Amino acid sequence: MPRAIRGVLVECDPSIKSIIVKIDSEEHAFIVEDLDDQTLVIKENMLAVLKMRLDEALKETQQPPSDSGSD
Amino acid sequence: MPAKRKASSMYHLDVRGGTKIGRDSAVSTPGPATPRSIGSSSDEYSDAEPSESEKENIKKNINSFSVENYKAKQRSHAVAGMDSASHHFGANDFSYLSLKPDHDNRPLWIDPHKGRIILESFSPLATHAQDFLTTIAEPLSRPIFLHEYALTPHSLYAAVSVGLDPKDIINVLDRLSKIPVPDNIREFITSCTHSYGKVKLVLKDTKHYVESSDPEMLQRLLKDEVIGPLRVQGTEEITSAAAPKMTGLVIPGTKNFAGVQQAQLEGAKPKEGEPVQQEDIVATLNEDDDDDEDADAVHHFEIGDTAVETVQKRCLELGLPVLEEYDFRNDSHNANLDIDLKPSAQIRHYQEKSLSKMFGNGRAKSGIIVLPCGAGKTLVGITAACTVKKGVIILCTSSMSVIQWRSEFLKWSNINPSDIAIFTSDNKDKFARNTGIIVTSYSMVAQRGKRSYDSQKMMDFIQSREWGLMILDEVHVVPANMFRKVTSTIKTHSKLGLTATLLREDDKISDLNFLIGPKLYEANWMELAEQGHIARVQCAEVWCPMTTEFYSEYLRHSAKKKQLIWTMNPRKFQACQFLIDYHEKRGDKIIVFADNIYALKAYATKLNKAFIYGETGNAERMRILENFQHNDKINTLFLSKIGDTSLDLPEATCLIQISSHYGSRRQEAQRLGRILRAKRRNDEGFNAFFYSLVSKDTQEMYFSSKRQAFLVDQGYAFKVITHLQGIEDLPGLAFSTPSERRELLQNVLIANDADMDNDDKGDDMFHAMDGKSKFKAKKKANARRTAGALSELAGGQDMAYVEQNKSKNKELKRKKGEHNPFFKKLQRDQEKRRKALDDDE
Repeated sequence: MPRAIRGVLVECDPSIKSIIVKIDSEEHAFIVEDLDDQTLVIKENMLAVLKMRLDEALKETQQPPSDSGSD
Repeated sequence: MPAKRKASSMYHLDVRGGTKIGRDSAVSTPGPATPRSIGSSSDEYSDAEPSESEKENIKKNINSFSVENYKAKQRSHAVAGMDSASHHFGANDFSYLSLKPDHDNRPLWIDPHKGRIILESFSPLATHAQDFLTTIAEPLSRPIFLHEYALTPHSLYAAVSVGLDPKDIINVLDRLSKIPVPDNIREFITSCTHSYGKVKLVLKDTKHYVESSDPEMLQRLLKDEVIGPLRVQGTEEITSAAAPKMTGLVIPGTKNFAGVQQAQLEGAKPKEGEPVQQEDIVATLNEDDDDDEDADAVHHFEIGDTAVETVQKRCLELGLPVLEEYDFRNDSHNANLDIDLKPSAQIRHYQEKSLSKMFGNGRAKSGIIVLPCGAGKTLVGITAACTVKKGVIILCTSSMSVIQWRSEFLKWSNINPSDIAIFTSDNKDKFARNTGIIVTSYSMVAQRGKRSYDSQKMMDFIQSREWGLMILDEVHVVPANMFRKVTSTIKTHSKLGLTATLLREDDKISDLNFLIGPKLYEANWMELAEQGHIARVQCAEVWCPMTTEFYSEYLRHSAKKKQLIWTMNPRKFQACQFLIDYHEKRGDKIIVFADNIYALKAYATKLNKAFIYGETGNAERMRILENFQHNDKINTLFLSKIGDTSLDLPEATCLIQISSHYGSRRQEAQRLGRILRAKRRNDEGFNAFFYSLVSKDTQEMYFSSKRQAFLVDQGYAFKVITHLQGIEDLPGLAFSTPSERRELLQNVLIANDADMDNDDKGDDMFHAMDGKSKFKAKKKANARRTAGALSELAGGQDMAYVEQNKSKNKELKRKKGEHNPFFKKLQRDQEKRRKALDDDE
């Protein structure tokens, strides 16, 4: 019997994708299917959580650049 | 990029400013306009400012009299002028300043807090204003439309010493300014200019004295808790002597600024001793006051050699800047040196201007002259030496440049070759006659520990003499401690520092102010490029996206590995390949800079180009450089950071930077300097190119923006390229398939720490530290015994040696010479025999 999971197609930069994959690698709770460098299918119910986690991760990686962005 | 942003935002504000223009002067201060008071601003200068050298002084001086008594006034106005936007500007709300009715025609804004002056360089009056501002203030930042200058005590003093009256300064400033000159700025100018020249530091018989015509002033200094104890004990309290009388020569109207300027133009011919009165600088500079010469007495006390810097600092804090000038024309104590510029030597206008700042009043001031790379710093140094005509000591960074300096001297001036000596580890001559020039390197003079007998003798000789002028080449590179040692052991009357990039990432640059002197002149890069003295350069920052695999590894690894990963990003590699290909087709000669040796080797071998780094042997370096210059098949050269400075390759017209030393602004500027002297710069429509390849979403972006700060201040605009047109269609594009990229990534990941460490060794151009790492490798290889056939060793068992990714360096080696005649004969005989055999059959 086929099993279906509701998913959301996410398109993003390769670097953002790596971050998502990294987040997923901890508990494998987000990614349904890794399609290619710029597209992923994400579990729909985890989307909000993922967004939050991604924001956090971005804050970490982008910290120094945002400093200089103002000058 | 920041430049663009700055300029456009300012424009925007300007347009809007019709109604509330008063506020704009605050906003238009480039750099982080943080709403902090000056007193607490310790780091706000760190990012956007090209020169931190004056920040101490500015802070102290302005603080001392302006900010406090000025605050009260501001408050009362602020309440009245409050509106909905006020809180954005905080302490920088200048809306209380009133605009002049005809402000549109005036090009200057004045920031009363920091003593900054903003010039609208698009205004019709801009050229006039610019001339004026370079005389009275120090340039901080000069992008296309708005220039920023800072008023500092040193710059004001320089203005006074070339003949400007404080009243005139204020008047002209008032005429050019959109707002009436604020009271505190007025006060600042007058108070700064008033106290100048009251206290002097002179060198007599190799001893330092503090001199003044006013004994009370000296008493005050002696009572000061810092300066008092520094006086050399055993000398009487204050000695007085008659002021040196001026020689009774006629002045042919050469007193003024123009006259001296002309003197420079004419190859600095000896001008008659000018009867300048030493006591009161302000007075002497008013032409009319020139002639009433009162021979008052001067009073002085002696201070120790090491105390000089402290005394200078302290005096500046007391508001009594010490005057350090050398009246070389009236110095009969030291022998004159027979030296003149050759008539063929032409001094460019900016070189003349810089020298006129140094010799502005007929005496030699100590200070630093900042000219871009390739703009003729050496000639400025030589002209200065020709003007002073006393013993000169020149300090360079390496033994290579020592030799260059000497040959430049012989080329541009008529000095007798025996009068100019070299002091390096293999050369310890003295000049033949009683005075002359010595060229040496910093390390020779500042060396600690035991020296060889010869060099000790030489050092004693140098220290026992009085020198007229000390020229310090590339002043920015040398740590302050070394300077302290050099300047305290060698007795010179005046010092001239030369550099292209007066900045360091640490705070040491402000020390130079006291060790050498203030910045005398800083050339406008853009202006020189306009006039064709240096090449016009197009700067671009190429953003290379990271591939997924590389970015995931980037996220996982330590800082050090991260650096290697963003350098080895295959997209960056492709961009580099594409740019090299594109520019080689255009006929450009390309230099590629990579700080990281691992990356350097990987790029160069993959792309099959020649490369030079610390471990490349000297002979090989020379061979590669020669090929690069003259061989039209070798158009690309990979260099590690040994090529950053003092490498002169006028053929190069394009520069690509793939990895760099964090956020070093100096490195960026020095690298750019490699293409500024391009030979073809005067061709119609010629442009040199400077590309900086940056991996997106990594820290490199942050470093890159930091690095560019200096060049942006000089007016360079960095274009951002996010996509190179046609890069996918390049035949033979490296790493175009995922499997190749994965292989590269694997290689990068297994590159061990030793490989990455490489970049810090063998740093000095022409001083290769070869052999060290090789030696280590040899030690590890122990003897190994295995059973096998002899043919295995010879490679006879169906294995052949093929070298993949051959290094281009090896190809450049000279072809083997002709065979020895003996072998030729042998070959001929063999052929004959074969033929005979063939004929027989």
